[in-house]
Amino acid sequence: MTSTGSHVAKASADEQTTPRTSLRTLLVEDNALDAALVVRALNKDGFEVAGDVVQDEKAFRRSLRASPPEIVLADYNLPTWKGMEALKVLRAEGLDIPLILVSGALGDVTAVECIRQGATDYVLKDGLARLPEVVRRALREKHERSLRLRAEQDLAAKAEELARSNADLEQFAYVASHDLQEPLRMVAAYTQLLAERYRGKLDENADKFIGYASEGAQRMQVLIQDLLAFSRVGRKEGTLVSIDCNAVMDGVRQTLSSSIQESGAVIHYANLPSVWADRTQVAQVFQNLMGNAIKFRGKEPPVISVQAQKEGQQWLFSVADNGIGIAPEYAENIFVVFHRLHARTEYPGNGIGLAICKKIVERYGGKIWVESLGCGGSTFKFTMPLRSSDASSGTREETGQ
Amino acid sequence: MKSTHELLIVDDNPADIALAREALTVCAYRGQINSAVDGAEALAFLLRRGNYASAPKPDLVLLDLNLPKRDGLSVLTAMKANPDLRRIPVVIFSTSQLLQDIDRSYELGANCYISKPGNLTDFFSMMRSIEEFWFGSVTLPPRGE
Repeated sequence: MTSTGSHVAKASADEQTTPRTSLRTLLVEDNALDAALVVRALNKDGFEVAGDVVQDEKAFRRSLRASPPEIVLADYNLPTWKGMEALKVLRAEGLDIPLILVSGALGDVTAVECIRQGATDYVLKDGLARLPEVVRRALREKHERSLRLRAEQDLAAKAEELARSNADLEQFAYVASHDLQEPLRMVAAYTQLLAERYRGKLDENADKFIGYASEGAQRMQVLIQDLLAFSRVGRKEGTLVSIDCNAVMDGVRQTLSSSIQESGAVIHYANLPSVWADRTQVAQVFQNLMGNAIKFRGKEPPVISVQAQKEGQQWLFSVADNGIGIAPEYAENIFVVFHRLHARTEYPGNGIGLAICKKIVERYGGKIWVESLGCGGSTFKFTMPLRSSDASSGTREETGQ
Repeated sequence: MKSTHELLIVDDNPADIALAREALTVCAYRGQINSAVDGAEALAFLLRRGNYASAPKPDLVLLDLNLPKRDGLSVLTAMKANPDLRRIPVVIFSTSQLLQDIDRSYELGANCYISKPGNLTDFFSMMRSIEEFWFGSVTLPPRGE
């Protein structure tokens, strides 16, 4: 036998009774008879085997390059080489080709060690009947492995693409809203100036038209400010500090004091936890939720209750009100930027508050949602991760982390 | 003694300069209003170069930050480094609300930083405040011409 190896004969016609699967093999075997037995065992069980038989590294590498096999069947001991060396070559070439040891008596310890090192399986030469099944399983596993790998790569690529497009969008929103402000300021200022200087000096229609233009420009200014605020949530490199939510609520109550007084709102909160976050952003979440609870009140003065409880590795906050509630079909839409459920004349606003809350909460790995009884008030819930000190002082003290 | 004040407004937007003129007219400002539309022109005016050889020395500069050629901070730096110009009060008048812009302006010696209001009423009342403060309450440095 030359070092280029011999070629395995095709199966004879009488063996082709079952559907044949063609199989490119690379046999690492010094004994021609053993090689023939291996091929015969596979051909008998539905394979149509083709491929080289080699017995040293040089020939192995050459065959690998010339016609990469689907599977390598290697004898453990060869005169000048070892079957396990073939595995190292496959590794070094970065090839995911299963290698099955086909060997004479191999001690259990050696066999286990070979599999630990990466051989797919091993079959004894006097148990070759097992070989077809072992080969089938190896091919199946490899197929599954490549599917999984491709799925993982696809997922990673999609995630990266999504992150990039999100970042682009945020950058776009920021630049657009920032650069739009300048010309818009001029439109707003000059239409307002026209309205003031020329009111009653043109005709009635002119006054009306100028009024529309002026109001439109001013509303757009507010929208752009909101959009800018929204896009800043993602841009801001906030400093994370431990924040006492009770203190945050004290501040929110101060900020909203005039609307609280006006509406006669009663606000309950006590024993709120501290969270690890950016102070302004946490305050913004509470302020937007409180502001909404007051704005969308029913006939009764608002009663708002803010609570928190530990759930697993996070705090579950709830802000419950007795306001007009939200129909369940809108429960998700309300968190979409600029989405509004009411005419501006009914309730003022641009539909930015909850979108900002969602963006902030998600930034810290939390979730926000609403539970509503339709007309009997709403409960907004959101989660924030525990500070690591809270996580250890709670239910799992023994971990000490 | 000269009685009319000289104001220099540096802004790349002619509509903004016109708006400032309107506002100053409304609040009965009696001085001169000069203007420059970029940083280079502002410095030419201040240093009396080229076409500005006979330009008056401003009593106050209203300086936008975002300017073509040389931006506002660069004009401010040049002014504060020049012994003849460093006494002229500079009011930064910009739409930017970035903390770094505000901080940088004061660091470079701006006399105050005012955010340009977006709304006409606020803009007019802001211009009135500037006029009343700088040309009413404040004793400006002697011209020394």
